[in-house]
Amino acid sequence: MATTTNALPQIHRTARGFCITSAVWFVIGTLVGLTTAIEFIAPDLLGNISWLVLGRIRPVHTNIVIFGFVTAGLLSVSFYMVPSLLRTELYSEKLGMITVLLWNIAVAAAGITLAMGYTQGREYAELIWPLDLVVVLLFGLICFNLFMTVKQRKEPLLYVSVWYVLAAVILSAITYCIGNVIWVPGSGALAGMPDAIILWFYGHNVLGLLLTPLAVAVAYYVIPSASRTPLYSHTLSLVGFWSLLVMYSHIGTHHLLQTPAPTWLKVVSIVGSIGMIIPVMVVLINLWYTAKGKLGQIQADVGAKFVLAGSVIYLFTCIQGPAHSLPVVQRITHFSNWVVAHAHMGVLGFAGFIALGGMYYILPKITGKPIFSKSLAELQYWLVLIGMSGFMIGLTMSGLIQGHGWRSGETVYRLLPQLHHYNIFRGAMGVLIVSSALIFLYNIIRTIFFNPGGQASGVGKES
Amino acid sequence: MNLKMTPKAVIFGGTFILAAIVFAVVYWPWAKRIQTPSDIHRSRTPAENAGRATYIANGCVYCHSQSVRYLDWGLGAERVAQAGDYVEDRPILLGSERTGPDLSQEGGEHPDDWHVAHFINPRFTRPHSIMPPLAFLGDKKISTLIAYVQGLGYKDADRRMERQRFWKEKAIEAYEAGPEANVKWLHGHVPEGWRKIPNPYPTTEAGLRRGRRIYQGFCIGCHGPVGDGMGPAQPHIYPPPLNFTILKGRGISGGILYYQIMNGITGTAMPYFKRELESEKIWDVGNYVAVYFIGETDANAEPRGIDASWEP
Ligand code: HEC
Ligand code: HEC
Ligand code: HEM
Repeated sequence: MATTTNALPQIHRTARGFCITSAVWFVIGTLVGLTTAIEFIAPDLLGNISWLVLGRIRPVHTNIVIFGFVTAGLLSVSFYMVPSLLRTELYSEKLGMITVLLWNIAVAAAGITLAMGYTQGREYAELIWPLDLVVVLLFGLICFNLFMTVKQRKEPLLYVSVWYVLAAVILSAITYCIGNVIWVPGSGALAGMPDAIILWFYGHNVLGLLLTPLAVAVAYYVIPSASRTPLYSHTLSLVGFWSLLVMYSHIGTHHLLQTPAPTWLKVVSIVGSIGMIIPVMVVLINLWYTAKGKLGQIQADVGAKFVLAGSVIYLFTCIQGPAHSLPVVQRITHFSNWVVAHAHMGVLGFAGFIALGGMYYILPKITGKPIFSKSLAELQYWLVLIGMSGFMIGLTMSGLIQGHGWRSGETVYRLLPQLHHYNIFRGAMGVLIVSSALIFLYNIIRTIFFNPGGQASGVGKES
Repeated sequence: MNLKMTPKAVIFGGTFILAAIVFAVVYWPWAKRIQTPSDIHRSRTPAENAGRATYIANGCVYCHSQSVRYLDWGLGAERVAQAGDYVEDRPILLGSERTGPDLSQEGGEHPDDWHVAHFINPRFTRPHSIMPPLAFLGDKKISTLIAYVQGLGYKDADRRMERQRFWKEKAIEAYEAGPEANVKWLHGHVPEGWRKIPNPYPTTEAGLRRGRRIYQGFCIGCHGPVGDGMGPAQPHIYPPPLNFTILKGRGISGGILYYQIMNGITGTAMPYFKRELESEKIWDVGNYVAVYFIGETDANAEPRGIDASWEP
């Protein structure tokens, strides 16, 4: 497609739609997160406003960043990448646009209902039943659109990214139904310990069968493409893919090691958590060997740079993960800010970075124009990298203070003053992350809507 | 390896793996679940269930666990969680963070009036708290929330609540009989040995400074900045926080102060501090109260034993 005017190409509308969706919710989600950080520092600042109270806006924050920002961003790249890798067009851009619209309605409705106190109270499965149905419908629409795209493909071979995207959308649709106990509309829960087990099966697989495979798919697409090299090994791709499905999906009980869950189940989850080293290292070896000697090319493209950084953070997250799946470590870290640090490193540092990088990478391809400002993108890279790392280091320190303090008999209350400064530091790092989100939104909007093309220095890469 | 990755292989292979895993790690634990309630379990009352709904709606679960571990020390550590405690919980509220303390055994830890003050604004009873203020809930929801919280721990909680109610009646009676009778009642329950013990350590500048710091972090919301019992929690607490000045000339001793601070006064909002304050801190804050608010201290009076090595 050749576009020389301001007009946007008809195709890739869905990818653009999800890209804008992701950018908008990135700003809103992190602003809500910053509000929670401020409430940790000054709990009376926002007075007695029911819908801003910490317990209400915390799930607003997590749901918006996970579904509104990261998942939407990764879907944006997927909706470009899958057809392009199959040398065809998306089956239906119209259906895609309906999906985008409904996705935004669902995320907004999730935020509003949670702020109003309509929640099922199960971490990561908070949404009330009608919204659960909308989410399932959305996954269904996405599956349908992508399956039909696969069906009409002109390229007989499926590239590894396509496997991951297909597996992610279909398996997430299934785990969403199971984890939200969708056959019990009222409470959306089982009774007793099985509820905790099914909840963490699901909570864990939001990461393991949704964010991780989508992010890995994007990395598998961007790294070889940016370094203009074929993928290092097909065999490693296969091993990584199947071992991810087998390992990641069964270890949710490592969130429940200190509860009265069945011991055999805990043992299984610990062993599987250590085993996670296989799918993680296999993917990273495959990606990094592909990039070997091509770091210059990757460095030159800000999108690819984000993706490579995301892959490095994936390694850190997945060294930490198996480590704190060990009971000896979890005795100190469980219930503390350490886990919050890990969660942000995984969701923002790994999946979020790859979503951002993927969107920057495909932006010229889905708009036919260069990125509005490469230097703003570079600035954003450093803001979010420093913000995320600082956040992670600060919360790890405060988590260790909590964990060691509790272990040696300090009460929760006694430790609060010692955590105060770390909470302030977290707020400051949050400001960097929100700034980076604002820059991203500005850059995306300028590129898509107010960029006549060819104005920025970068060469518009057209597919 | 030349396994052919067709769409069918991905979709059916993936779904098959997931189905096998769901069977093994979700269905099987459910089929084998423990359905017998534990020894302390009982069903919740309608008021408690209403309070639980408020607890869920306002996201208390993000800051409070309800899952005591064998390695815990704090609130509730006397009883480690069992699967039978949760058989009726839908959803289960184990929690994943301890920004605030575990609440599994919160029932009967404090009387209701402490909770009223604490929920309206946690800083009223706990000056360093970062828990959100909940006054927006209104009296009705706060009272069902309290019903829920006071039932946490089931039968153990019920026993503690019975004790709270028994002593609450006595404390109110004593308070309403006037300061003389109230002080007599308060001290009458301090074991005799403790009553006779003076504070064995001398008053020092450093000790008073430490005492003030403890007072500001733990006591000021109730007993007030000048020790007259007029802290911000006062309107919600009955019998109201003690006005320390009434203790002057009524047989107060370092031992009484120490014992009351350590052990709390069940039935009144006065909490125990044995978990939060080590011995030196209790002597220090007691002496701070004695010197500044009561205006009479027995610090370093006889009998005090052999002087401790650090004494000047
Ligand atoms: C920001 C996290 C946070 C949220 C949300 C929160 N709390 Fe707390 N809570 C705390 C902290 C910190 C403490 C310890 C300091 C104190 O006692 O205020 C605490 C203490 C408590 C205590 C007193 C425990 C004791 O005996 O010392 C109770 C009861 C309690 N919270 C109930 C609730 C209820 C009910 C809710 C939901 C409406 C809630 N909390 C929401 C952080 C939180
Ligand atoms: C939640 C409110 C509250 C807090 C916090 C509190 N108190 Fe009290 N205190 C009370 C109440 C209520 C009484 C008993 C009043 C009565 O029965 O007349 C009391 C009684 C006492 C007594 C008993 C005096 C006697 O002669 O028997 C002492 C001593 C005391 N408080 C010291 C402290 C100290 C020191 C702290 C801080 C470490 C503290 N209190 C924190 C509410 C509180
Ligand atoms: C090898 C891989 C990993 C392992 C073994 C692992 C392990 C764990 C464990 C054991 C916990 C619970 C800690 C506790 O409660 O004490 C946890 C929490 C968490 N992990 Fe991971 N992790 C891994 C990778 C990731 C990745 C890649 C992400 C993000 C995409 C992630 C996101 C999270 C989140 C969000 C939580 C917090 C859950 C909560 O709210 O309690 N993890 N992880």
